[in-house]
Amino acid sequence: MNFPGFVSALCLAFSAVSGLFAEGLSEAEFQRLHKKLQVSGEKPWRTIPWKISLLDAQRAAVSEKKPIFIWAMDGHPLGCT
Amino acid sequence: MLDRESTFKDPEIVRLLKSRFIPVAIDQAYQRRQKDAEGEFYRKIAGQGPRNNFQGTTQGLYLATAGGKLLGFNNNRGGDRIRRMMKKALEGFRASGAAVIERGKVDARYNPSSPEGGMVVRVQSKILGGYEETTDRWRKIFQGSLSRDNLWVTKAEHDALVAGRLLPTLKKRIARYHLVDNTRGEPPMWKADEIRSLELSLEDGRLSGTVHLETTNGKRGYKASLLGRVEKKNGRVVRFDLVARGEFWGEGTYTRGAPKGRFPLAASFTLADGSDIADGVPPQGSRGWVRGYLRQ
Repeated sequence: MNFPGFVSALCLAFSAVSGLFAEGLSEAEFQRLHKKLQVSGEKPWRTIPWKISLLDAQRAAVSEKKPIFIWAMDGHPLGCT
Repeated sequence: MLDRESTFKDPEIVRLLKSRFIPVAIDQAYQRRQKDAEGEFYRKIAGQGPRNNFQGTTQGLYLATAGGKLLGFNNNRGGDRIRRMMKKALEGFRASGAAVIERGKVDARYNPSSPEGGMVVRVQSKILGGYEETTDRWRKIFQGSLSRDNLWVTKAEHDALVAGRLLPTLKKRIARYHLVDNTRGEPPMWKADEIRSLELSLEDGRLSGTVHLETTNGKRGYKASLLGRVEKKNGRVVRFDLVARGEFWGEGTYTRGAPKGRFPLAASFTLADGSDIADGVPPQGSRGWVRGYLRQ
């Protein structure tokens, strides 16, 4: 391969690799991913009427005469754990 | 993640929770520490269980009366044990006539509120590929999981967006605390000096840019492109949609089991409307230091 050919090949290779990050997101990809990364309200755990305050739960337990179910995690259970 | 797709996928447990219990979800790292009525009530309940050293985690599922009597504890996953525990607790349960506990003065450190005049943005992340095939039930759940966190935006940052500007504080907060792999648990956040590059601009309502995050030792990193839209109406932001997509590598102490090598990770941002109870959960990155999270 002559020198100009080598440089062209190098440029092509570089643009292919850097394109992984530099090409950006297309409008279509943005729309597709934004729609895909939404929590479905139909998941069973999301249909449960969770409270996020223990004292709110205690108040409801008094008025509704029910026991309290506490889901206590490291990190918030409705968040990342 | 695991409980959602196991214990709380069980139809009978879901039915019992909806009809016979008052369900509450908490990050016990707050309640076991906070010095106020809510913290005292939590410690009263948890203190009757096996995890009663409040210097460490008290993670688990607790059943209790409104008066604070423990009716059951379990830290296992899966429907059978939890279903049995719930039924046993119901058999012995009698409403005790307990009084409502007044909230009183709250421990401000563990009761953060979203910034007044600002906004809350839902952030959801997902690994798009790269996992090895598995037949393990729990790994499968992790491999398909979609994480959830909230981004808090201050009033100054919100007002700047309305004026067509993206403040550096908001850019950095997005990068440090919300471009993380939190799909398998609590993730390590990025330190300020781990932002190798961050180009994110707002022009005519269009957000676009790139980010490179990487630890000093190079063992964990994320290189991504970002694209989004901001719309305003009557002085308020009414749309904040953003997507980051790129290659992530590495894992944290509590997020073991990442795909090997580099793998595709995407995050989506959507303005919260308050219709989801999880909209009220503080950002994971604000835990214990809200001012630091907001200040940047």
